Amino acid sequence: MLQASKVHFCIKQRPIVEQISLEVNPGEILAILGPNGAGKSTFFKILSGDISCKHGSVKYNGKTITSLKAKDLASVRAVMPQHSQVNFPFTVQEVVELGLISTQTKNSSQLINEVLNATNTDHLKDRIFNSLSGGEKQRVQLARALVQIWESKPFPRYLLLDEPSSSLDIAQQHAVLSILQKLKSRNIGILVILHELNLAAQYADKIALIKNGAITKIGTVEEVLDEKTLERAFDHPIQLLKNPNTGRLFVASAAPFYSSLATSKLA
Amino acid sequence: MIASLSHTKTQRQNLILAGFGLALLVVLLASLSLGAYRISLPQTLAILFDLIGLNVGDFQVQQANVLLQIRVPRILMAMLVGGGLGIAGAALQGMFRNPLVEPGLIGVSSGAALFAVIFIVLVPVSASLAWIKPIGLPLFAFVGGLICVLAVYRLSKSQGRNDAATLILAGVAINALAGALIGLVLFFADDSALRNFTFWSLGDLAGANWSKMPVTIVLIAIPSLLLLLNTRQLNAIALGEQEAFHMGVNVQRVKIQLLLFSALIVGAGVSMVGMIGFVGLVVPHLIRILFGSDHRLVLPGSFLLGAILLNFADLISRIIVIPAEMPIGVITALIGAPFFIWLIFNLNKSTN
Repeated sequence: MLQASKVHFCIKQRPIVEQISLEVNPGEILAILGPNGAGKSTFFKILSGDISCKHGSVKYNGKTITSLKAKDLASVRAVMPQHSQVNFPFTVQEVVELGLISTQTKNSSQLINEVLNATNTDHLKDRIFNSLSGGEKQRVQLARALVQIWESKPFPRYLLLDEPSSSLDIAQQHAVLSILQKLKSRNIGILVILHELNLAAQYADKIALIKNGAITKIGTVEEVLDEKTLERAFDHPIQLLKNPNTGRLFVASAAPFYSSLATSKLA
Repeated sequence: MIASLSHTKTQRQNLILAGFGLALLVVLLASLSLGAYRISLPQTLAILFDLIGLNVGDFQVQQANVLLQIRVPRILMAMLVGGGLGIAGAALQGMFRNPLVEPGLIGVSSGAALFAVIFIVLVPVSASLAWIKPIGLPLFAFVGGLICVLAVYRLSKSQGRNDAATLILAGVAINALAGALIGLVLFFADDSALRNFTFWSLGDLAGANWSKMPVTIVLIAIPSLLLLLNTRQLNAIALGEQEAFHMGVNVQRVKIQLLLFSALIVGAGVSMVGMIGFVGLVVPHLIRILFGSDHRLVLPGSFLLGAILLNFADLISRIIVIPAEMPIGVITALIGAPFFIWLIFNLNKSTN
């Protein structure tokens, strides 16, 4: 289990992340939603180990993150960044291979092939990473992160993703998120920051709604996706509809031409 | 580790490196044999084989002396300094994630030069202190290079992002400051220090001798080998420092090692033969253009190509105006720059 308890982080006395507690179980997708500047990315960096929190703790399978070396941490969690740049002309295969840098495994070629397959990038493997389109780059980065935790281990692993679908078209967004869904059976827990509410509604098992550095609501999709809760979190009128085909909830938002208390402040 | 998948790739890499090794051998033999004092190739080989007790031909004692006391140390020096500049350039480019980085450009060389000058001026070379000079000068140069590379690194990271413009500006500023401080130190120097400085600043490979070898090997060859231990980590850092950490690389430790070893190599090189630009920039570039970005190949390849290039340049500098010698920096730039321009031009043509 990935467990964050009472994580607190301040910059110049101002709390950015305030007492956030949540859990990610293996085989589960937890989506983090919230308006810009809510502290999602800071919280994400605390979970990934890039920065350490001043109060509270983050535990991977019961071990506190601060007690784990970079190498040990890499064996339980992989991170997919929002977007990354590679300044030298590496091929896709070279980029994905790097995911295995701190792994001792004999099946590396098999792992790489499986991951390239799962992310539908095997046809790209000899291309130069920088020459790929945005969607292809994201899938390669996903492959690179995945290969790190792909091999079955006696303990669960975790994948953290920071807005993996931003700047992708609809088909690519769904391509990335359906890959995540397939991971659930591999004893991998997934935490993903999403911008697009509808993607969370369709793919997440649990949603944590964050505003002003604190969790406003956490629970199943049905529990959190509630018009009032979302309107308050995003300061914008929101309508929830039911998709007639799937029966799943569907978030509709429009320009705030009818007045609500929250939005009239902006006018 | 990645066995079958990149089997052919590793084979290809080994082949490329072996090719470079062979080219280096050819250049070395040519350098040994050619020069103001002619020693034919068979005689050169005879002298070398004589060292291990094999008699394969006749030679004169004087020839052996010229070869073993003057040319061999000079060639070893060119090999170590050229290779060192190449590998240090490649490592710094990888660490800064910027193919524009060069020890001269970002101020490492001028920082090393400044501290070398301070050492020359402040430490009087009296007879009793003579032993300190061969080790003190490169160590001082190392400290200067390290300070400058740390300063540039800090400055270039200060906006949070590692961008090329800030990096180059920081390098320009450091270079200007170091240049001004060198002038200032020289202003207060006495005559003997000035003469020492003049010899040092002219100091090309002609000053190479066996007594400088142990220090050069310790300060250039060993750090170069240690740099090779970090090649996989450099590949990871090319994706970003954060990404490298996510993949389990102890980024801080790797960076400190890279900076220390590069500063050692450049500092020692500058203190031995003066400032030789161009090698650290062009050599890794050529390797990347020709063979890709995998640092497992770029670093050793840069060492070999740097060694080849500097030896070749030194050979030309010795034979082009016999019996005089052309300064080697002139030659490296004269060969390197047009070749580099040609390469960029052709690369653009082929990619369009």
